[in-house]
Amino acid sequence: MTEHTDTDIDSSPPTAVHGATPNGEELADDVAKVLETRDMDVFYGDFRAVADVSIGFRFNEISALIGPSGCGKSTVLRSLNRMNDLIPSARVTGEVHYHGANIYAEGVDPVEVRRRIGMVFQKPNPFPKSIFDNVAWGVKINGFKGSKAELADHVEATLRQAALWDEVKDKLSDSGLSLSGGQQQRLCIARAIATQPDVVLMDEPCSALDPIATLRIEELMLELKKDYSIVIVTHNMQQAARVSDRTAFFNVQLDEKGQRTGRMIEFTPTDVLFTNPEQQETEDYITGRFG
Amino acid sequence: MTGTTPEHEEIRHHFEDQLDAIRRGAVHLGSLVLENTKRAGDALVHNRLDQVAEIVRADDAVNELYEELETLSFEVLARQQPVARDLRFLVAITRILYEIERSGDLAVNCAKALQRMEGVTLPPEVTGALERLVHASASLFAGGVDALADMDETAGARLDREDDLVDELCGAFYTRIGAQSEILGLPVAIDLSRVGRYLERIADHAVNIAENITYVVTGDWPHEIDVALEPRNE
Repeated sequence: MTEHTDTDIDSSPPTAVHGATPNGEELADDVAKVLETRDMDVFYGDFRAVADVSIGFRFNEISALIGPSGCGKSTVLRSLNRMNDLIPSARVTGEVHYHGANIYAEGVDPVEVRRRIGMVFQKPNPFPKSIFDNVAWGVKINGFKGSKAELADHVEATLRQAALWDEVKDKLSDSGLSLSGGQQQRLCIARAIATQPDVVLMDEPCSALDPIATLRIEELMLELKKDYSIVIVTHNMQQAARVSDRTAFFNVQLDEKGQRTGRMIEFTPTDVLFTNPEQQETEDYITGRFG
Repeated sequence: MTGTTPEHEEIRHHFEDQLDAIRRGAVHLGSLVLENTKRAGDALVHNRLDQVAEIVRADDAVNELYEELETLSFEVLARQQPVARDLRFLVAITRILYEIERSGDLAVNCAKALQRMEGVTLPPEVTGALERLVHASASLFAGGVDALADMDETAGARLDREDDLVDELCGAFYTRIGAQSEILGLPVAIDLSRVGRYLERIADHAVNIAENITYVVTGDWPHEIDVALEPRNE
């Protein structure tokens, strides 16, 4: 769609770009990962919010991050597309590899990172613009060179992919804010995928929605994973159990300085995590025996 | 660390109380069936026709408690949406309840077979083999109920081995019946064979109960075969 020469991110498989990794032993298995953190710490000023996260997300899977408030799951999510750059005191150490390339390496354009790794937020936040423009906007600022008709085709295809087309096709010039909450969230998903990323990050995308709207988003996620890899943060464990292929459990731990730091406890196939988790800490949390 | 509230504690305690009530109820159900199995075995060995009615009647209480516990298990499954060990427990307990209830029916079947054989005096060799089988089967069933009461994950593999003895004693019982078939007559020989089968099945149910407990506690089956998938020929 658009040509970018100011970045060294390559979308070919990792092995074609990077051979041996500096920490090759970190790779627990040989399956290719679309996105992978290595010994990642995230700081807010001097405060280490998250420590030692090494987690690899596979292609075309839905990965869920669960855990109590303050466990760092949203911080981890925001680090995956450099959204934390927007917080002045935030600092990430370690590496985050996207198709094998470190997105925190020098010379990488964070805007390009966010185009390839899209994000959907907790509260539906459409722009106060028309439904059409909400989807077309990201495409246009990324230098779309096609005709008006081609842009309209792209918007339609995107809205179809977001399972929203049939509901909005007759009112594309209405404000995005005129839609229901669930429709607004699907519009935000359409906006996120309009720039053709291959990873979509979702931060509690259903927490403001009723069960019916939630179900539609979940169905959409299952549809989208054919084309995208999805990482979702959710407080709703049933949601993680319903939609995800793999689930990571994060918990708050006191570090050596007595600070509360988020750590990843385990990352396993979702069916295993919810029937027979490896770690007692995970079991205690998911069965509600915490505190 | 994760901000529990007194309300949360209360709801969790209620959940744990419910799980414990189901487990204790299942142990009680198991002890009722164990008692009736022993009574039926004793009636067969000592030709106590007068016990039959009581054995049949006692099964009503078993069925009633079974339904009550099954309903409670489903309710907890629906309302608490359990995961991990809680989920394994609730799924396993519905199977265990079934295993116990079926065993109760088999004890009744033994009593009914005795009724059909009314007035027949069994040769001592047959009675002796029957008595050994009754004893082994009841003992294995007691082991299954103990496994449930103690949540003993080691019982599954142990009872599976002990079940081999029950199978042997059942085979020996069949041999005795065969050797005495002319004296017994065909209808009695058939009824006795069925009694052997019932007692052998009660022991199998006990093994299944204990294996389910192993699964609840460890998340794995004692041997890699899923007992739920083994054919049930009753």
